[in-house]
Amino acid sequence: MWICCNITGHLLVIFMNICMLSWEYPPRIVGGISRHCQGLARALAKMGHTVYLITLDFPGAPYYEEDEGVRVYRTAIELGHPNFIVWVLLFNHFMEKKVAMLSKQEKFEVIHAHDWLVAPASISSKHYLGAPLISTIHSTEVGRSRGLHNPDSYLIDGLEWWLTYESKRIIVISNSMRQEVREHFRLPDEKIDVIPNAIDSSKYEIRVDRDDVKRRFGIDSSERIVLFIGRLVPQKGVEYLIMATPKIIEKHPEARVVIVGNGWSKDYLLNLASSIGCQHKVLFLGFLSDQDLIELTLSSDVLVIPSIYEPFGIVALEGMAAGVPIVASNTGGLAEIIEHDKTGFLAYKENPDSIAYGVNKILSDPGYASWLVQNAKRKIREVYSWDAVARKTVETYEKALRE
Amino acid sequence: MSLMSGKFSSLPGEIYMLHILHNIGATSPERALTLEEIARWTAMDPLEAEINLRKLLKDRYISVEETLGVKRYFVTADGIRKVLSMYS
Repeated sequence: MWICCNITGHLLVIFMNICMLSWEYPPRIVGGISRHCQGLARALAKMGHTVYLITLDFPGAPYYEEDEGVRVYRTAIELGHPNFIVWVLLFNHFMEKKVAMLSKQEKFEVIHAHDWLVAPASISSKHYLGAPLISTIHSTEVGRSRGLHNPDSYLIDGLEWWLTYESKRIIVISNSMRQEVREHFRLPDEKIDVIPNAIDSSKYEIRVDRDDVKRRFGIDSSERIVLFIGRLVPQKGVEYLIMATPKIIEKHPEARVVIVGNGWSKDYLLNLASSIGCQHKVLFLGFLSDQDLIELTLSSDVLVIPSIYEPFGIVALEGMAAGVPIVASNTGGLAEIIEHDKTGFLAYKENPDSIAYGVNKILSDPGYASWLVQNAKRKIREVYSWDAVARKTVETYEKALRE
Repeated sequence: MSLMSGKFSSLPGEIYMLHILHNIGATSPERALTLEEIARWTAMDPLEAEINLRKLLKDRYISVEETLGVKRYFVTADGIRKVLSMYS
């Protein structure tokens, strides 16, 4: 660790060894945590810090690689168990073993955990390494499941509480999450820092042949794409977009709802599209590679984010960076990112009519769509860069080291 | 604690099977399992297990490899994402 003092006599850490734990890191992409960790870790490495990213293995990914300066260690899970929670506890053991092995060669100044899935490994590492633990709480079980309804949920909620209790500082990604974790886990407000998500907008600065992209995905060049990107799980509210489809195609028969992502609700959503007679207007593409996703986003006319629960909503930043007008639920982090009628359209939560109204307004009025896009792109440049997020994260690390 | 305690105890058979295969680590060709082994782990009748495997193969959530006439099944990257989507 390199340290110096500023003019007020505060210790400032110049470079540090950061041990970051996450159950997902590209190409293991389940939700937003994967891309968040990659963006943050790369930006920290760019600042000169050494980031050791401990994660789980994935088919085709190497056990060790350097990803733009980030030292990525993928841990094999050598033992399994049919029960998911037991499986989580087992992989935490193997992650902890990896941290212990690395700590023989390196001294970690901070340990940074992402969500409950790595809580046991992070907490025990904190104790035997004597380094402060910082945790980012991306979402909570009580929020994801809209309450605690069964033993698994109670256990996950307990692990989340345990992680916040053991952490020196907590990072959340929006003000709505700050309120949620403070109230639910009874945390002191001064222990929590709000650091938003960010995006590498340069990925979207490419030219694409929209007709060619549409053709590749079986979409006619005359069709206008109403895009959804995300996990197919109830909290994402995809059903409300599907229910809005008849009202969208009534006004815009050229619209095609395109759903990208996978998840356990997929069969239900396929049946829903059939039952309301619009299966021909709803296209399920499954999981796409990053490049395909960028090209499809750039070829879309509206991005819809109909979430019921969304602590942040990184997909909103992706749409804004790509220059696609957004219709999003007026909830959680989305309501903080998007200013209604300025950087996007905020629809009422769980309301297909409101979603359809927003989509139709954007498809019908190119001037309105262009106004939203210009404002959104400006906001992305000014607020949501990984360099800014990494600087704020280092400030949190420094606070944890001082306290 | 049951195999699928609480949260997802009412899953369709093939998704239940996918979960079990994932959680016990059958996620690579080296750790692939035969139909009989899968039937034992999931406590399913072999015929029912085979029907579920066929559904999972069709959706590309699992893959099959054959050596010396024995078929072994393992969870694909898409299958891993399908399972994990329930918990994140």
